[in-house]
Amino acid sequence: MTRKLHLLPVEAYTSRDWFDREMRDIFSKTWRYAGFMEDVSEPGQYITVQAGLNNIFIVMGRDRRLRAFHNICRHRGTQLIRAVGKTQKALTCPYHDWTYDLEGNLISIPEEEEEFGKVDKSCLGLKPARVDIWKSMIFVHPDPDAPSIAEWFGPVEPHIGPHVPEELVEYEDLNTSYEIKANWKIVVENYIDVYHLSHLHSSTLQMYDHKAGKFHWEGPHYMFWEPPVDAFLKDQESKLIAPRVIPKDMNGAWVPMLFPGIGLAGSEEGWNIFIIEPLGPELTRVSNRGRVSNSSGWEFTKQSMKSSMFWTKFGLSGKYEAHDAMSEDDPMVAGDFTGEDIYACEQQQKSLKSPYFETGPAAVGESQVVEHQRVILEWLGDDE
Amino acid sequence: MSQRNFHPLTILGTREEIGGMAKTVMFDVPDALRETFAWRAGQHLSFRFLINGEEQRRSYSISSSPFTGDPLRITVKRVKGGVVSNHINDTGQKGDVIDVMPPFGSFCLDPGENTRRTHYFFGAGSGITPLYAMLSSVMAAEPNSFAHLAYGNNNEKSVLLLDELNTVWETNPERMSIHHVFSKPGFWSSADYWRKGIVDKPVIEALIAENPPYAQDAQYYVCGPGGMNAAVKAVLMSLDVPAGRIHMESYGGVGEVDTSVEGIAATASVTLGGKQHVVDIAKGQTVLEAAKVAGLKPPFSCQSGVCGACRATLADGTVHMLARMALEDRDISKGAILTCQSLATSEKLTVKYD
Repeated sequence: MTRKLHLLPVEAYTSRDWFDREMRDIFSKTWRYAGFMEDVSEPGQYITVQAGLNNIFIVMGRDRRLRAFHNICRHRGTQLIRAVGKTQKALTCPYHDWTYDLEGNLISIPEEEEEFGKVDKSCLGLKPARVDIWKSMIFVHPDPDAPSIAEWFGPVEPHIGPHVPEELVEYEDLNTSYEIKANWKIVVENYIDVYHLSHLHSSTLQMYDHKAGKFHWEGPHYMFWEPPVDAFLKDQESKLIAPRVIPKDMNGAWVPMLFPGIGLAGSEEGWNIFIIEPLGPELTRVSNRGRVSNSSGWEFTKQSMKSSMFWTKFGLSGKYEAHDAMSEDDPMVAGDFTGEDIYACEQQQKSLKSPYFETGPAAVGESQVVEHQRVILEWLGDDE
Repeated sequence: MSQRNFHPLTILGTREEIGGMAKTVMFDVPDALRETFAWRAGQHLSFRFLINGEEQRRSYSISSSPFTGDPLRITVKRVKGGVVSNHINDTGQKGDVIDVMPPFGSFCLDPGENTRRTHYFFGAGSGITPLYAMLSSVMAAEPNSFAHLAYGNNNEKSVLLLDELNTVWETNPERMSIHHVFSKPGFWSSADYWRKGIVDKPVIEALIAENPPYAQDAQYYVCGPGGMNAAVKAVLMSLDVPAGRIHMESYGGVGEVDTSVEGIAATASVTLGGKQHVVDIAKGQTVLEAAKVAGLKPPFSCQSGVCGACRATLADGTVHMLARMALEDRDISKGAILTCQSLATSEKLTVKYD
């Protein structure tokens, strides 16, 4: 059995220098998640997103096509617009009221004659970025000439599950966002670590057969699928907590991690996203949203009632017993796998600064962790 | 110059359309000419006929996709009193040999395996022919893209290529949609249509609102008679569509003709087939006419500024074009002219046929 050693130095998870290089060479050069397609669905509506070093806004024209521009006034560089909102036909910089149309053309400069004489406005349009929709998500790329999103995500499509997110509806309760006091790669490594599933989540994710899981890479993107265990599979229709969204012959948990830090999680009952956004060397934001079947509330109620019996007996519970709880909301007792993951990530990050920190061998089920580190090195140009 | 010369092609077969009011003519392209006659979806062919002792030239859009294995073909609708369209409909049959100039035209859609776009097509009447070639090319060779068509006709009896449109739609229901617009739907009509009227602002707005672009690289193609193209373009631009995303081709002649300039007598240096000639242009004469009078054989076809067969580059001097539908603004900025529409406005011209 080949034992792999981890490839990255501790500084990769703690230093400002590594963080800056990743912002520049990874997050500024890849397609970045910006929201669900519903977020910009009316002409004039806009959102902004940070894509590595770039703040980009996305606005819909009256032709219902999205345009993306770097959120920088061409005059002095002030951010043109704020996080979300709606405009009519023009975008005006708050600093000196330079105004652009929805194509990014500079259309007016206050007191142009007195202040500037003549300005060639055609050279001062907003700088465009690339935008597209994929699997119901809006993505932007800072480079307007970047390869198409079909080229970037095309190879993963056969491997990420049969879900058709465009036909599902957003379930608002799944829209959550939280910060983890750990480097973003710690969070990714946790997401793609197959070995931990049977251990950290021994009582929270045991409805899937981790040992039968299949994983591989498509370029920098990680693919993962695992089937339901027999106890969950048998008479499964009475055990799903929400109406089924995929065909039975495609059952299982489809949990890819697209590059960089774009996690998807599809199951028999729904489809979720897990977006990892680096905020600092040791701080990361995770944003979750999810979609479920476009069925009536009554369908959901029936399914939830039908399945409650099974889940009561099947027994989701915490890793630690209640009497070991360190507080009322100890994540290791609560029986929620997300809390368990956050706990593990933060505990790992804390140890990184210890002079005695040293990693042990990587398990077969952790080989993906090492592979992700290799992808990082490749993107930073350090892979020789 | 083989791209601008006529070649004899044999008719492989014909098919009557819309109750004999139109005809699809398929051509057998021999192996030796396969490369010469390779076409891009949206391009057209020029034909030369001798009818009642007179030479007639016409251009017709290719109505098949180069990606579906279909033969090179055109679909010609009868025009009232039309010499060539009725000749083709009345007499064209399998085995006939016709003079055909290889495909050309810049109203094209080139599909790409990894290209991801939403294509909107706006057509009316026989304007469907290049649009059908484009639409079926997208479905055959651009698997990540989407397409929506608004197609105007009098009623279901005048819808060209209806069966083929339905077939491509049934094969790709997730990626495309077809919206029929009838100006005079029959009272007893049982045929499904989307809206009554013509392809105008409310129709265009509804098409886009009901089918917003999923792939965000949206492109718009318009092919209709008379003033339809300009009208559709104006509507699209009022909806914030940038001009560079709108692609148009007109048919049936009538575009805008600008007769405000008379032109002057001039001397032109004309390069054709690699040889340079000096050609005198009389006042009011077009560059094409002058070249023909001088004994040259420059390429041309429709002589109304629509087809682009007579296109050349103006390397020096200035001209006024009476009509210029075959050229985009960016072609003109690079010096392209339609010689059949160009009157000299400077005393010396340098014209080069590509």
